[in-house]
Amino acid sequence: MGTPPYRIWEVNNRSETGVFMEEKKFINERVIPGIRRVVQKYEIKYDPNNPVNMDDSMADAVWNAAVEAFLSIGVYNTTTHRIIEFTREELDEAFLGLPGSYLFGAGKDARPFIARKPEDKTPPFMLFSPDITYDEKDHFKACVAYLKEPLLDGICAPILEYFFGRKISSHSPTELGGSLMHAMNLRAAARLVGRPGIHFVAVGTAEADSSQIHVSDNEYGIRTTDSRLVASTTELLTNNEMMNKALHYQQYGCYSGNLAGAIYGGYAGGAEGTAVLQTAYHLMGTLLYSSHYEQNFPFHLKYGSNTGREMLWIVSTYSQAIARNTKMPQTSNGFANAGPGTKMLYYETAAHSMASTISGANLWEMAPARNKHHNRGTPLECRLAAEVGYGTALSGMTRKDANGIVNTLLEKYEKDIPEAPIGKTIQEMYDLDRAVPGDEAREQYEEMVKELKNMGVPFPY
Amino acid sequence: MTEKENLINAMKSGDIGSLLELTEKILSEGIPAVEIADSLIQAIREIGEAFEKFEIFLPEMMLASDAIVEILKVLEPRLKEEGSDLEMKPAKIIMATVKGDIHEIGKNIVITLLNANRFDVVDLGSDVDSLDIVKAAEREKADLIGLSALMTTTMLGQKEVVEFLNEMKLREKFKVIIGGAPTNQDWADRIGADGWANDAASAVKLAEKLINNKGVR
Repeated sequence: MGTPPYRIWEVNNRSETGVFMEEKKFINERVIPGIRRVVQKYEIKYDPNNPVNMDDSMADAVWNAAVEAFLSIGVYNTTTHRIIEFTREELDEAFLGLPGSYLFGAGKDARPFIARKPEDKTPPFMLFSPDITYDEKDHFKACVAYLKEPLLDGICAPILEYFFGRKISSHSPTELGGSLMHAMNLRAAARLVGRPGIHFVAVGTAEADSSQIHVSDNEYGIRTTDSRLVASTTELLTNNEMMNKALHYQQYGCYSGNLAGAIYGGYAGGAEGTAVLQTAYHLMGTLLYSSHYEQNFPFHLKYGSNTGREMLWIVSTYSQAIARNTKMPQTSNGFANAGPGTKMLYYETAAHSMASTISGANLWEMAPARNKHHNRGTPLECRLAAEVGYGTALSGMTRKDANGIVNTLLEKYEKDIPEAPIGKTIQEMYDLDRAVPGDEAREQYEEMVKELKNMGVPFPY
Repeated sequence: MTEKENLINAMKSGDIGSLLELTEKILSEGIPAVEIADSLIQAIREIGEAFEKFEIFLPEMMLASDAIVEILKVLEPRLKEEGSDLEMKPAKIIMATVKGDIHEIGKNIVITLLNANRFDVVDLGSDVDSLDIVKAAEREKADLIGLSALMTTTMLGQKEVVEFLNEMKLREKFKVIIGGAPTNQDWADRIGADGWANDAASAVKLAEKLINNKGVR
């Protein structure tokens, strides 16, 4: 079951007819004061002692603040320099039509993707994703290594930086070529591991609308049972290229998610405003792009991560705000500070997975080393996130239980966030020819699971 | 609280209206403009440090930065009259996010801090063609070009600007600094940029250093 596109041409038309304004004025006179005002009005308050929010009224206040902020701010189209605005009636209509669940992928590999609730005992949909670039020669093998993971329900694959030895340049033939190579590598890897219908969110190599359109193909590329992302820029900005992508996904017939990362410390201010803004992005995705789900990655302006104390509060609070008030499925995308092969990365991953799962999110894990170091991402941290996600849901734990364990985990790593180690590359940790972890990496993983279990982190086995 | 302290507080809250009123009042009392400017410059440095430590966030920093730009415009004629040695026409910097890249917040934070440090900044926006950047630098008689890129697929735009400057025999006229998530010092060295900054505060320090070495300030 899918969601019907929301009045797609009427919404698109607003890009041409909305209020004219310069971008800076939109940020200074709408976004910043709009968020500040609702944070005060709804008395939203960050609680550093409780990185996992346990207060339903706070989650609902964040939802109400986000609705009011979004309706008063709108979305700015940087191509047309006009503001796209919506009404409360439209918002209610669009959210009423959400089915609350989809079937992602095809055939025996299809998996339900649902709008979970806080403290839901249904395990999260597990999207494995390193969100970083890999050497061209190892890209296919890395795709295989990820796809071999048993708990994987879907994949957003490693990204290509080079195409036949040429550095991929945005909006150029190398980007079209690299995007197709990315899609074909994924498709071939999925078939070889016996999961031909597994759900892809792809392709991350494609930045341009033309590159995304180029890979839409039910035979060799991205299928209608897969999904795609449409982004926005900081904050509440879109452009015609993003609108083109959204339209293409609707008309091609695949699923689509709104990719949004409100910046902590940026235009939204502190944790309170960031939680409100991240919630507001769900409204933007549903109304503007007709997105089927929300892909959330709020991050810290200075560190580019979301596993710090204030970031986990943001993650848990907006996830609960959405889970309690809508039927919109959401994913929580982890951005860790530390890199692969470090204990810190596993602590961060466990904390992010628990805070997200207990708050009603599905999981999209894990981008290590602040999402900026080539080759530094492995399936192992994704595996840990999935196991902890399953453990959290199946154990029947409460937000209070999760909050206690997340606090214990934070004590292990939060002081090291400013100088987090970048860790190792996948080539250093994996036997890529066989697409399995090397002995040292596997043994370290097993030791970490033991340690985390001793700390109370729940695992399914 | 003294009037000067009130002035600093008004700047911190970004209240430009009160700031202008207070400035006029203090000036009418015969306090030299250079004294007011010095206090404000010290205050904006403190605000910048607070932002670096995340004691305040971007909106507060932006408000203060906009406020000091406005107030220094008002003080400038008085400073001239006083024959002050406070430099009010500092070096000019062109800032742009390179071709194919629409991410602006990193560049905008750098601009906010540069403005706060009294640089004259021309913001070309995002997704800017390399040749347009070079032409703007020439037209504006800039001293330095700052180039931001957030993606591995757009950092080539930084390289292209340096290449065009070389091809057009203009390289010696401008210092070039780069930044953005996928970039590092190695990339800056490889493309022949004059420097790389990891964050906005270091971008300002780097710009100051390069411009001082160039002999502009």
